[in-house]
Amino acid sequence: MLRQGSSDDIEDVSLFDADDEVSRRSKKSKIRHPVASFFHLFFRVSAIVVYLLCELLTSSFIACMVTIILLLSCDFWAVKNVTGRLMVGLRWWNQVDDDGRSHWKFESRKVSAQGHKTSSESESRIFWLGLITCPIIWVIFAFSALFSFKVKWLAVVMMGVVLQGANLYGYIRCKVGSRKNLTSMATSYLGKQFLRQCHGVVP
Amino acid sequence: MRVSCWRSLPTCGLQSTLFQLRDLKAVGKKFVHVMYPKKSSALLRDWDLWGPLVLCVSLALMLQGGSADSKEDGGPQFAEVFVIIWFGAVVITLNSKLLGGTISFFQSLCVLGYCVLPLTVAMLVCRLVLLAGSGTVSFIIRLIVVIAMFAWSTLASTAFLADSQPPHRKALVVYPIFLFYFVISWMILTFTPQ
Repeated sequence: MLRQGSSDDIEDVSLFDADDEVSRRSKKSKIRHPVASFFHLFFRVSAIVVYLLCELLTSSFIACMVTIILLLSCDFWAVKNVTGRLMVGLRWWNQVDDDGRSHWKFESRKVSAQGHKTSSESESRIFWLGLITCPIIWVIFAFSALFSFKVKWLAVVMMGVVLQGANLYGYIRCKVGSRKNLTSMATSYLGKQFLRQCHGVVP
Repeated sequence: MRVSCWRSLPTCGLQSTLFQLRDLKAVGKKFVHVMYPKKSSALLRDWDLWGPLVLCVSLALMLQGGSADSKEDGGPQFAEVFVIIWFGAVVITLNSKLLGGTISFFQSLCVLGYCVLPLTVAMLVCRLVLLAGSGTVSFIIRLIVVIAMFAWSTLASTAFLADSQPPHRKALVVYPIFLFYFVISWMILTFTPQ
């Protein structure tokens, strides 16, 4: 149901839009796709857990490596094809023309007139949290493997960085639209966060 | 099809499982195209890297247990095979792009990865032959099988990749591919179980 006061909010499928949502908070904090949210986090977190605990779980390096590779591949496929589309309404893919040139496409879902297909805030939070923190953790692992000379793990860690970094880059491109918008979006996000803090302080 | 799914969300769940079957079928079709290389667009247009990943992992798994002086259970060897295949494929792709090829990065990786299939089959055959015995006869059988599969791999990948190059540069593109599959064939042929 359209609300006249905040029609801008309905048109704008923005992650960081948290104003004027007091009455819609109950609807938006519900998780609409619990299975997708679970699997979005499950593969990423279990890949990291297996990497950290591999020496304790089993003495076989190969079993660990194959398990981590399988988990990373499943995670890449799930996040790229399923959870991004369901949870935040974004998708990206590669298309090859007839003359052999490849194009990368980035899309975000337009909100329909009914307005009931907006993504819920908690799902959005889960999605972006999982998407951003895990590549950072893999980059930390890469540096630690490099500096502690555990070179045999470098192959797995590089694969983790590349696959999860690719998803992160793809979804940020979907969200932002073009590269010029990134800095302006970051500034406006920081500005809004600062204002929210101020609102929170004042009773 | 995808646009209509986008509008009405409830059917998207069903379509995502259908996409999975379709992806698997696409991977299977590409395997068939490698074994019977004709000029087809399936490998080039709808590229994916699942097949190369599966082939790489299975080849690396089958090459385990072959080094006489490895203290661990062949750990570094697994990572080595992985790195050789992927790094080699990336280097060949960069080479062909620098020579002015019209094929895209991931398409080239896709073709090179899928054309490792004959060599994976050769590895399987070699392991089976080595179960029977490891004398001169088994070596000759393995040599013939590996040479045949190496030639098949090189010809299959050349059939897909060389067309994207200008004619006077074809040899410059084919030579690294030849080396790449030669190294993998060498690893397969010199594999001796402990």
